[in-house]
Amino acid sequence: MIFVTIGSMFPFDRLIRAMDAWAATSPGEEMLAQIGAGGFEPAHMPWVRKLDREAYVRTVRGARLLVAHAGMGTVITAAEYGKPVVLLPRQGALGEHNNDHQADTAAWLRTRPGIRVADAEGDLPACIAAALAGEDAAAGAIGAHAPQAFLDRIRAFVAGPRPRSDPPGGLSRRRRG
Amino acid sequence: MVATSDGGHWVQMRRILPAFAGFELVCVGTEPRADPDLGPVRYYPVRNVSRANAHALPVLVWQLARAIRRERPDAVVTTGAGPGLIALALARHLAGSRTVWIDSIANTERMSLSGRMAGWVADAWLVQWEHLARPEGPHYWGAVL
Repeated sequence: MIFVTIGSMFPFDRLIRAMDAWAATSPGEEMLAQIGAGGFEPAHMPWVRKLDREAYVRTVRGARLLVAHAGMGTVITAAEYGKPVVLLPRQGALGEHNNDHQADTAAWLRTRPGIRVADAEGDLPACIAAALAGEDAAAGAIGAHAPQAFLDRIRAFVAGPRPRSDPPGGLSRRRRG
Repeated sequence: MVATSDGGHWVQMRRILPAFAGFELVCVGTEPRADPDLGPVRYYPVRNVSRANAHALPVLVWQLARAIRRERPDAVVTTGAGPGLIALALARHLAGSRTVWIDSIANTERMSLSGRMAGWVADAWLVQWEHLARPEGPHYWGAVL
């Protein structure tokens, strides 16, 4: 199954339209698309607005490929389950995000194993074919936690004393009293 | 207290949660229910406010202030976005909490707008890319990957 997802925030009809067209030419492929608040409703592949977290994880686990926006939620979840991904970065100029950080994210991610980046929607079919042929999942799953040194540093900081005196009773109660 | 938006922000926070093992953990999030992987945890759902729906800001501030007054957290940690920034500001002033901002690893070239504003309210003001760190902050302590 190929899981198409645009994350959970803004619509991304450019990706959904391109994948609906791809689905029309690939009738044997089982697919599911999470389209969010997009105005375009696919005609050639099953779709949902938004999966809850459990259904989302179940779908990622069952997929052989993810085709997605270049969002870290999708990319990290795919990596945690060892799934290959094809990414189409959102463009700020097309109103697809607040800014162009997904192009920066994609530029960094494209060298990582299991990740292919389509710079334009026209590149998607070739990226999908290459990902499916290469079985990129061989990259293997990453662990579920951040590196221990990072965790230790945050833990030590959080465990420290409050830097400011806590007003007795709190500001809210003082105002009420 | 961890106060983090859903989507990629939460997926990054999940990778940091082991840092809080053994602490009393409270979660604030923009999903209606807590991530089931958290198990039994006190969870406060809040409105997800961004520049697109800034009119809902008073509701969000009220929800966050209520959670912070009730919990009086020793520390508040966020991986963004806007609601996390407001949670840090409120926790600092209402409860004297230690505050930690961890900017998204997605921001490889520059911090987000809320990340830059977090410099005013975060006791630990962190980026996940070493080349974005500055001596006066933001600082680099590592990354979720």
